[in-house]
Amino acid sequence: MASVHLAGIRKTFGSSVALESLDLEIASGEMVCLLGPSGCGKTTALRILAGFERPDAGRVVVEGTDITELPPQKRGFGMVFQDYSLFPNLTARDNVEFGLSIRKVDKAKRAASVDRLMEITRLTEHAAKYPHQMSGGQKQRVALARALATEPRVLLLDEPLSALDAKVRESLRVEIRRIQQETGVTTLFVTHDQHEAMAVADRVGVMEEGRLVQIDPPQVIYSRPATPFVAQFVGTVNTLAAQRDPSTGAWSVLGAPAEVVGMGQVDPAGASSVVVRPEQLQLTGGHGSPGTITSVSFLGAITRVGIQVEGAEVVADLMAGSVGTVAVGDRVTVAVRTDAGPVVAATR
Amino acid sequence: MSKFLRGLFLAVIALYFIGPQLAMARFAFQSIPTPLLTWDRIFEGWSLKALITAFGKPELWAVTRTSLMLAVLTTLVVLALLVPVAVAVEIKAPKLKPWITGVTLIPWVVPPIALVVGVAGTFRNVWPGYLVSPLAMVPFYALWAMPFTYRSLDAGLRAINARTLYEAGVSLGASPGTVLRRVLVPNLVAAVFASAGLTVALVLGEFAFASLLLKETLPTYLASYQLSSPKGGMALAFVVMILTALALHFVVRMLAKRGVEFTPGGM
Repeated sequence: MASVHLAGIRKTFGSSVALESLDLEIASGEMVCLLGPSGCGKTTALRILAGFERPDAGRVVVEGTDITELPPQKRGFGMVFQDYSLFPNLTARDNVEFGLSIRKVDKAKRAASVDRLMEITRLTEHAAKYPHQMSGGQKQRVALARALATEPRVLLLDEPLSALDAKVRESLRVEIRRIQQETGVTTLFVTHDQHEAMAVADRVGVMEEGRLVQIDPPQVIYSRPATPFVAQFVGTVNTLAAQRDPSTGAWSVLGAPAEVVGMGQVDPAGASSVVVRPEQLQLTGGHGSPGTITSVSFLGAITRVGIQVEGAEVVADLMAGSVGTVAVGDRVTVAVRTDAGPVVAATR
Repeated sequence: MSKFLRGLFLAVIALYFIGPQLAMARFAFQSIPTPLLTWDRIFEGWSLKALITAFGKPELWAVTRTSLMLAVLTTLVVLALLVPVAVAVEIKAPKLKPWITGVTLIPWVVPPIALVVGVAGTFRNVWPGYLVSPLAMVPFYALWAMPFTYRSLDAGLRAINARTLYEAGVSLGASPGTVLRRVLVPNLVAAVFASAGLTVALVLGEFAFASLLLKETLPTYLASYQLSSPKGGMALAFVVMILTALALHFVVRMLAKRGVEFTPGGM
């Protein structure tokens, strides 16, 4: 297993800047997700680490060795692609064995290693199938087993689940995490799906326009976003006006006291608005602001309610059973929950 | 309505192609004077006599051998030249694609007469023996086959998503050459066979270059034989056409059995 450091990476394609001063460190055995919208540079960062793109500036360092100029076939990495990229002329087993045969690993050793991986990825019964005979989930498991077969120093996953349907995606991301933890391989996972990133990563790096704007454990990314972009990209947010009493420093949001923390390193003292997650709002009979329900969506464990309050449209996630029946047009009182953590100042 | 129009269109196309073939077959294989080949006599006087006579000519087998040899060599030359180029452009320099596609079209812009005169004029001075052998035809045929061979390979490479297959291969530690040999070429088999089939069909039917270079190939022999024996010449042309079509069909079916499908762009 190896530590990875992308140091001061810059990459342009013609006049467009794909990456600007990217600094990313991944500890040995850690799984980091790069998260961001299309075109934010996350795949370019992964391709530079893989050796498929050369940076205009900066260095790629693995285990303390500069590998910026090393061709991809000599980096000893494993990679899983969005469209699987299985070799159509080979069976599932032969695909998994490919990297080992390239390395001229002894036949018996090769067979044992492939057997073990086929078992870990639950592919044993599909070993003789060709890619066109397998489902999307099975193909991606073969791709994962193939990438792991060579015992790579670093595993690179380029949106590996985005071509799959929701249910398979969910189960496979759990499997990827399990296998990553079992093998302990240092992993960089690129995705535009925040749920995926939050579910599997030790740390999530959020990218915006070629820059890494925040990298933290998922809980921190969600509850303490460093910028409004991070707050909005990771989950749903409501932006609400906030008032601060200059003499006491106490905050009130929606007419009730609230705990406010700064965004990133910024002191919240001068802020005039805050971002509030839907689950931080509640309907109450006490303090709060009056509003009118504009929409009600039943989502299973929660009910998502749209409310017109203080001239703005906000959404609140209410736990099933926590409220009685609510309907569009009902007059309600909305407040920030005091037991759901602080809200985050949005502007200075 | 659209179904009816589709059917009508197919029927017109079928008539356009089948009509001349039927006329050709009747002229070649019915022992009836041409003015009397009316619809009411369509089942009368069929005979293989003209074809059997044509098959008895030893010159036919000599030119057939020459043409088959040219077909095989041209196919090998074209594939050896274009497979690496098409793969390199697809993987390393996709931005060059429009240029390469344009370059491969040049042979069709230059008329055969200009090509032959230019090449012959040049080589007669620097390498007088070059145009003596029938093998001198191979570069001409290779040039002529380039436009559709390149397109067929290009379509095949796009169909298999060659770039990511290449990246998957090298990420597993394989050298570019190994990826080409073990991954790309085996998955390009449909495109390669399509290219080869089209090249063979072209060589077996090409007349202009051979005639201008005064070479005896199957098409030039058919043309001259037709002057001395119109029915025999037509019978031979008909058989060559049927055999070529059958050969292509056989290749497509054989590959389909192995799970290789021909894409419209690849065939």
